[in-house]
This record gives sequence, structure tokens and C-alpha cells, in this order.
Amino acid sequence: MVERVSALSGHYSKTSHDNGSVTFTEIEDLSLIQLAAWPDTLALVAAKAVDIIGAQEAPGPGRAVSTHKGTLLRIEPLKWWLVECRDFALSSDPLATQGAVLDVSHSRTQLRISGPQAALLLNRHLPLDLRDAAFPVGTVASTAFHHTGVTLWRSEQGYELFMIRGFALSLWELLRESGAQFNAEIA
Amino acid sequence: MSARRLSTGGRVDRSQTLSFKWEGRDYSGYAGDTLASALMANNQRLVGRSFKYHRPRGIMSAGVEESGAIVSIGEGARHEPNVRATTQQLFDGLVARGQNAWPSVGFDMGAVTGLFSRFFAAGFYYKTFMGIPPFEWGSGTGIWMQYEKLIRKAAGMGDAPSAPDPDSYEHAHDHCDVLVVGSGPAGLNAAVSAARAGLDVILVEQDFELGGDFLNQPDAEAEIKRTNLIALIKAVNVRIMTRTTAFGLYEYGVAGLLEQVTDHMASGSEHLPRQRFWTVRAKSTVLATGALERSIAFGNNDRPGVMTVAAAGVYLNRYGVLAGEKIAIATNNDSVYQTAGDLSRADATVSIFDARKEVSHALGEAAERDGITVQLAMAPMNVLGSKTVSGLSLAIANGDDWKAGGTRSCDLVLVSGGWSPVASLLSHRGGKLSWDSENACFVPNTFSDRIHMAGSAAGVWNLDDCEVSGMVAGAAAVKDFGKSAPSMSAPMVGGWENPIRPLYEIKVAGEKLKSFVDPQHDVTAADVRLAHREGFVSVEHLKRYTTLGMANDQGKMGNIIGLALMAEALGKEIPEVGTTTFRPPYTPVSIGALCGRNSGSHFRPLRRTPMHDWNLDHGATMTDAGLWQRPWYFARDGETITEAYIREATTTRSAVGLCDVTSLGKIAVQGPDATEFLNRVYTNPFAKLPIGKARYGIMLRDDGLVMDDGTTWRLSETEYFMTTTTAHAGKVMVWLEELLQVRWPDLKVHVTSVSDQWAGCAVAGPKSRACLAACVEDPAVMENDVLPFMGVIETTLKGGTPCRIARISFSGEMAFEVYVPSDYAPAMMQILWDEAQPLQGCLYGTEALGTLRIEKGHVTGAELDGRVNIDDAGLGKMASDKKSYVGDTLRKRPEMLREDRPRLVGIFPKDRQQTFNGGALLCKADTVSGFGEGWITGVTHSPELGHWIGIGFVSGGHEAWAGQTLVAADPLRKGNVDVEVVSPHMVDPGGERMHG
Repeated sequence: MVERVSALSGHYSKTSHDNGSVTFTEIEDLSLIQLAAWPDTLALVAAKAVDIIGAQEAPGPGRAVSTHKGTLLRIEPLKWWLVECRDFALSSDPLATQGAVLDVSHSRTQLRISGPQAALLLNRHLPLDLRDAAFPVGTVASTAFHHTGVTLWRSEQGYELFMIRGFALSLWELLRESGAQFNAEIA
Repeated sequence: MSARRLSTGGRVDRSQTLSFKWEGRDYSGYAGDTLASALMANNQRLVGRSFKYHRPRGIMSAGVEESGAIVSIGEGARHEPNVRATTQQLFDGLVARGQNAWPSVGFDMGAVTGLFSRFFAAGFYYKTFMGIPPFEWGSGTGIWMQYEKLIRKAAGMGDAPSAPDPDSYEHAHDHCDVLVVGSGPAGLNAAVSAARAGLDVILVEQDFELGGDFLNQPDAEAEIKRTNLIALIKAVNVRIMTRTTAFGLYEYGVAGLLEQVTDHMASGSEHLPRQRFWTVRAKSTVLATGALERSIAFGNNDRPGVMTVAAAGVYLNRYGVLAGEKIAIATNNDSVYQTAGDLSRADATVSIFDARKEVSHALGEAAERDGITVQLAMAPMNVLGSKTVSGLSLAIANGDDWKAGGTRSCDLVLVSGGWSPVASLLSHRGGKLSWDSENACFVPNTFSDRIHMAGSAAGVWNLDDCEVSGMVAGAAAVKDFGKSAPSMSAPMVGGWENPIRPLYEIKVAGEKLKSFVDPQHDVTAADVRLAHREGFVSVEHLKRYTTLGMANDQGKMGNIIGLALMAEALGKEIPEVGTTTFRPPYTPVSIGALCGRNSGSHFRPLRRTPMHDWNLDHGATMTDAGLWQRPWYFARDGETITEAYIREATTTRSAVGLCDVTSLGKIAVQGPDATEFLNRVYTNPFAKLPIGKARYGIMLRDDGLVMDDGTTWRLSETEYFMTTTTAHAGKVMVWLEELLQVRWPDLKVHVTSVSDQWAGCAVAGPKSRACLAACVEDPAVMENDVLPFMGVIETTLKGGTPCRIARISFSGEMAFEVYVPSDYAPAMMQILWDEAQPLQGCLYGTEALGTLRIEKGHVTGAELDGRVNIDDAGLGKMASDKKSYVGDTLRKRPEMLREDRPRLVGIFPKDRQQTFNGGALLCKADTVSGFGEGWITGVTHSPELGHWIGIGFVSGGHEAWAGQTLVAADPLRKGNVDVEVVSPHMVDPGGERMHG
């Protein structure tokens, strides 16, 4: 199997990782599966989604739930993203006609932005309220970054930014430019 | 006369000397200076020339309301005009000069215009449009075309830099519970009150130091208060933003802020933006924006050496600069007396001319103790001196009028005509002001939308009262959150011991005075009266006719005086005349800050295909296709674009060509009702499309015109893969979502954009099958019976890359589109290219793509421009009569059925050696005018036909023009070319090649 080449591949080198107040980490080989339901199948699909990662309950709008098997992000009222769930087999079609499963792993570029000034940097571009009380760990939001739609999830490790692949390099360049004032590092 | 730095006093750091250049000469100031205070300390009084008359101008204030010291700073690409010297923090190496002057502000040739000032009164510019009698009457413009250039050269406010801006700027967002604007006595207290209640507070201050009017006080007590309050706000975690101006207030607590990040540095940090444009969303807002002291209109009140009283206090107490030695103060209110005392104690000789007939005994006594002479019922009439002040002619009260009252020698004239609360931000939100006749100013009304006014912005004059007012506003903000806060009474508006005497202009019978209302735009009291005489009775019209309040101070100094003069002319009271509406920005915002980082290559977001780098590595020259970057052509050494595209198109038709088609829109359509959904969206039937087959489809808008076309592939019982044109991908996606959410919510269908999930490559040409067969793991899948025309397979490329292949053709050749998950795109391109080269294949770009599709008469976004119906596009056979679909009804309205509608055609030049342009109109040979009979949407050299061809629309279609010659009219570029109209299917009309 040939190796995957990400949208940012060849456009950066990792830097030393010591005193930066912001750190960028590209999450390579992203696995992203979309699970969609219809209003009358929402509970059923939610239950199946919970089964897949072994969580207690499916996340509500704007929230994420993680287990050691993967993470569920509620990205729309009727849709979840299943992130980094390597056990999941698309061919098993767990939703049958109750919902729709779609592999969108190559459609997004995931960038983790972490460090004490990560939110400050993100707010150079995103209009979201990222103060701790408003955007605690486990929060998910769709928003705009330089006129393009992005999804932001705050994980335990930092802010996980999902950018549309075609725009990812353009946004990465902007983040690098604005990140320089925070001595941003690339891990 | 001289202004000078005192050896002690002020907040400047005398241990840190800063060098700067003014008008080409070297000077020095101290850390903590503004450019204005440093100029004044160096006794530089004449710092600019006025907009229209080139009158000498000096420093008139100490803040954002400055109308005189408007200067240019920086050099080369960093040259910036119209900087207020009064707010520009001094830094080492600052280079500044005056504006609107040649050769210098001291000796300005342009000053000759002042001799003709009576010709340049309000509205003169508009009148010149009508011609100059007696040379031109009515509408002559011949002379105007010439002197308009001279007027523009003579007028103006500095020069814009001609080089690109080398600095960076950025946008930023923040949120808070309470936004406090202004860090004076009121603002600091408001911030403390709100933050102590546990609220998240942002405090914004336009100055480089916190404290507002605390900074201008001579006593140590004020400084102690200031430092204590600053320590408090830090202790309660108030977020502090200095050098940041709240320039606008908008709905839902949105404030626009401009942070000057490096404007105070000689060389900004490499990584810091020069300015930052903030959008702050606050749940509650406190405006502690202060008040501005007004001038009075009297003769030569714009001379260098005339300034507001408060400004002289600021220069003395904050910067340790005594602005003059023999000072005449003209006032109509109490506020000047403290400053007069400060100036006197700094060894200036101070006289107060108070327009009021009486003031309290205590006030007079205090002045006397300070060695100040006070003369009542006196007012300034005319300033003596040309480039500096040498004296002041006075007026003495004569009943309600004034008469000449002698002359006093002085080197500085300070004026106070009262104070105006700064309520601009409230006004941005629609907040209203009421005229307070007792204090002769507009004060803000209570505003319900979580905006609280505090301090002198609420009309509270005394510093101690301002502190209380700040606490009250802070408590009000706390209550906005349903929290309890201490109840306190708000201080009353005003606070002077003696009432103000409203005074806006000094007129003395028999004296012809040049009295400025808006010095920055050279608007005089006479201009206001002229506007009234000419019928401009509304304050809004007055503003536009005279340009009063339209300079970069936006009327901070002159508006109230202008209103008062208009009210007098109309015989009305000021509140009856009304105010003009303040609009953002409060102070100017640079274009750079508005752009942020959206400039240069980031003006728009760039969208790159996953094989972008691969394409570049293989010689692609890229072009824009919407936001996408696409290969335009792949020139070999020495090839021109024309040679390249002709070779690429020829090679594709004779062997095989590879083209990056990733930019096509791709939409996953999933769900049990997906088939029904597509059947309603497309004009042609989709109900019976078998799994593993693709179908070309047309979708219409509601009005029956074509929205888009593309192929849709059936992958399973419940899943389709739709492709759209590059141009309409977003529009189609939004349209499908709208249909599902609004019209057919009962359909169980999800649509998801997968444009970025899949990378696509067209493999076209007679050797395309051989090429692909060598690339897939199982060559048998490429056999004609497995993958016939419009067949779809999901298979694997060598190396294990999963792919989808459809046998569809845009070029008219046997062709396939291959899609792989995007991260495998470079691998796909490499394997295809490795196999295409031995077959004498090529890579081709959009230019050759255009050639191939024009030869075939295939439409794109250039043809489907929103005016074309399905019959016009020559695709009427794809409109089903057996089902209903979007646009079905309205496509049959009479206008759509007219026989003479423009129809898709091919176009050949009559003389095959000639060429013509896209965009040309097609006209009858004897009627080359109007809109003609049609238009050309695309042109190319056809390698297949060996001559130039085009595609476009002509009324009635090609059959209507058989054997006739039309003219491709292109008057602005190529002129007229004779053409003939042919079928749009110019190459292989039977389609044998793609079916073969």
C-alpha cells in the first residue's frame, strides 16, 4: 500500500520543542468516518455510535466523547464524526438503512494546536469564544477560518482543527505567519 | 514667544532621550512624549498647513480631536500621512514632517491660495462644475477639466505612499462579560466594580498609559489614586489593552477595536503586526470615553499658538512643557481656572478673559492668589500675528453683543468654549443625545441595550464625581448579569460652581474676521452662513455642502459650533436643529488593518488539489479556477502557451492525455430515498440507473434555466457519487441541502461534499484504456464489456490504492475519470504518468481541456451562465416528459419556447486564417450594433480542424443561419471578423470515438 501524502506534507519541518507558547502538531493518517441519521432514527444511530467506541452516551450538539477506541464529535444535529476509530470497518455497514456511513478521512487535514497561548492564536482567526468556561475540553464547533468552514474540537491534548484539505495549506501558511509572534513550534 | 521644557514636572522620563527628525532637522524628546509634546518642547509651533487655504497651523489640542498638528511620519513605503502628532507616541528615530506645504511648512508657496480665499468659500468646488462665467455658461467643462487638476493638486491631506505596504496587520477576536472603554477616573472604577463581582472585564485605552485625566493632574494625590486603581484592576484580573481605540460599536455588544501594536517602535518586531483589528463581543459595555473641550469661533482662531486650555494643562502636567510664557485664556466656563493656576505656578504670566459677567467670589480670589488677572465680560476677537501669536484683540460685552475691547500682547491663546461628552460610540448603536442647556452640551440619554455611560462622557465634570459615576456604571453592568451590586446615586450632570455662558462665535460689528469652525477642513463661520443663505437649512445638508465635520477628526472640534451658528441663522434653538449622526470609525482605521492578513497571496483562500505539487514538479503553469489552482498548461522547453496547448490537445486526441480534474464538485448522495431525490433534481430519469453505471444529468433552477450539469454514478442501492462543474460546486451543494431541508424533509437522504475526499484525473485519448489497464491491479476490469461507456467500477491501482473509475468523456475521446482518496493523489499521478509516457502521452491543462471541449461543443460554466435553458444548450432531449422535476413547469413558459432564443452553436471564421475573441457579439453583417444576434463564450485553435473555432449562442441556432455570414463584433479589441455559424459538435459529431 502506498503511503498517504497529506496536504501539508513537504511544507514544514519539525522544530525544536522547548520554549514555544504554541505548538502545532499535524495528525497524520487521519481516520474520519461520518455517521448520519434521520430524525426518526437519531436515537438508534446514537446507540450504535456509542457501541462503536464503547462510550456511555453519544455526545449532544457541540460536544465530543472519547474512549480508548476513538472519539465521537457531534458536528451537526443529525451527524457525528467518528475520529481515529481504527477498529471500525466501513464494510460492516452498521447502520444499514437507518443511517448513512461515509469515509471522509482524506477530506480534512487535522492540526493540533496546543500550548498556553493556543487559544490566543486561534482567536487571531476564529470568532469563537474560546475562554475556558465557554469552550472547555470536549467542546466541538463549526466556524469559519479565512472564509472556509472548519471544525474545532478541544481535546485533552489541545485544540484539534479540522480544515478542508484543499484549503489546508493556505490556512497553515496563515497560522505559521500569525504563530511566529508566539514562537510557535512544530512538533 | 517660546514654548519650553521645564526642568522638572510631568511624567516624561528625562533619563531616556529620544532623537527624532522634524522637517529634515534633528530634535530630541523624552520617553513618554508624544510627537506633539516633543515638538512643543523644541518650540516648534508651526507644524502644518491647512487643507484649502494653506494657512499656517500649530498644535491645537493634546488628543484625538487634533485639527492642526496633522503630520506625515515615516519614509518610503512606511510613509503615513494624516497622523495626529498629539497621539503619536515619540520613539527614537521617528521621522516626521508637515503636510500640504511646499517647499516647507515655514515657507509654503501654496499659501498664495489664501489671497483668493473669497473664491474658495463653501461649495466653490460644486459651483465650478457649472463652468466659469463668462467663459462658459451652464455646463461648460472644458476649462474645468484643466483647473480641476490644479485644485486637486493644491488641496488634499498629505500624500499616500506609492509603494506597497511592507507591514503586516492582523485580525483578532475576543469575548468578555464587560467591555470598559476608557481608563480615566470613571473607566478604572467601572472596571474594578465589574471585575470584583467576578465578571470577565476588558479595559480598552487609546493612550499608551492608563489613567485618562488622572495623567493630567499636577498633584501627587491623583497619581496615588491612579496607581492604586491600576493595582486593583490587575488584582481582579481585568484584561488591559492600551494603545487600543474602540472605533465602533455594533449590534449585540460587538465592538471594533484598533490596537496599534508597533506604531510606537522605530522598527517593529519581525513577527508582530503593525496594527491589530479586534472584534470583541461583550455582554455589557461601559463607555467612559471622556469629554472634549471646544473652541470658540473668533478671528484667526487657527493661528499656531491657539489651543484649548485643557491641552496646555496636559502639556504642562503630563509632559513638563510650558506652551507659552505670556498666556491669554479665553473662557466661558469654570474649567479653565485650575489649569490657569498650574500655568501661573510654572512661571507663566496668565490672564483670563471670562465671557461671563460674573463668577463666584471664591473663583476670582483663587485666581488672584495664583497671580492671575481675571477680566469678566471679555472675549477673544482676533488673534494677532501670522505664523505665531503676538497678541489678542479682545471684545467686550455690549449688552448681548460684543464690541472691540483693546489688545493684549501674548504668545499663547488658550480657549475654552465648553465641553462636549464623547458619545460617538453610543451614537453608533442608535443611542440618542439630549441638549443640556445648563451645561451647553449634548448629553447621552439612558440607553437600554446594556450600554452604560460613565464620567465626563455622561456629562459629569468633576474628577471625584467621575470616579463615582464609574462605580455606578460598573454596578449597572454587574446588574446586567442578574447579580447584586451596591446601590449608589449617579452624580448629576455638570458640576461647575458657576453656570457656563453659551458662546460659539464672537462677532463684532464692523470687524471682518476669519473665524474657523472646522479648522481641519478650513470651514469658517462665514461658510456656514453662506450655506444657510444658499438654502442648506438641514444640518445634514450643511455638513455635506461645507464639509464641516468631514475631516479625519469627524467634527470633534467644530460640530457644535457649526450647529450653533446654523441654529442662529435659522432663528432656532440648537436642539431643534439636531445633530448629525456619528458613524464609525471614531478615529481613522487604516486599510491595512481592515485587510488583516487577507492580502497578497492570502487575499483569497487558495485551494490546491492534492496533486498540486506533483503538477508543479512536472512543469505545470497554474491558473485560477475560482479559488482552485489548476494546471493551465505544461510547456516544454521554449514552448509558448499556444504551442503547449495545441500539442497537448493533439496528443490527447492521438494518444493519451492526463488532466487533474479534482476541482470538479463531488457530492455523496446517501440514503434510501437517494434515487427518488436525484430523479426530482435532474431533468432526465435516474430511477432506473443500474448500480455500476454513471449518467450525465442536467439540473434546472425553479425558473427553468439550467443550474448545472455533471455525471452521477450509482455506487449501491442507496449511494450515489455526484459530480458538478468546478464553478457551481458550492452552489449545487447549497441547493441540494435547501431542497432536502426545506422542500422535501420527508426524504431520507444525506448529501455530503466529498470534493476534498477524492482526487481525480481524466485519462483521455485512444490509448487511455491501454494506459489505465497497465495501472490497475486487474487489467480485465478495463475491458469494454466490463467497463463500457458510462460504466463505473471500484477497483485498485497497482500498489494497492483503492480507486473509482468511470468511463466518461469531456474531451470526446475514449476517456476515463479515475478517483482516489486524496492522500494517494501523487501516487496515482505517478503511476498513470509512468504508463502514459511509453504511449507517447502527455499531461494537459485547462487550456487544452478547453480546446477539446469546444471542439465537441460541450458546455461549461461559461455557457451555463444563468440565462440558458436546456433547449438553448442543445440538451432538450434530456428533459423528460414522463416525470416531474425542479424547473419542469417554468421551463415550458412561452418565453422559454420561443424559436428565436439564442441556441448553442459552433463558430468558424469565414477566412480560416483569421481569429476572433471570446466575448465578441455576433451581429448581422449589415447591423453591427446593439446586442446583436448572439455572443461567443469560448474560442480556441482547433488542432483537429486546423483553424480557429468558437462556441457561443445565436438566436434560432445554427440552422437559422446556414449559408449566411455573421460578424463577430469586438470593437474594443479586435474589430469585426466575418464568421459562419455551424453545429456546436465540430469534431466527431456522431461520438464514435468516445463510444469506441
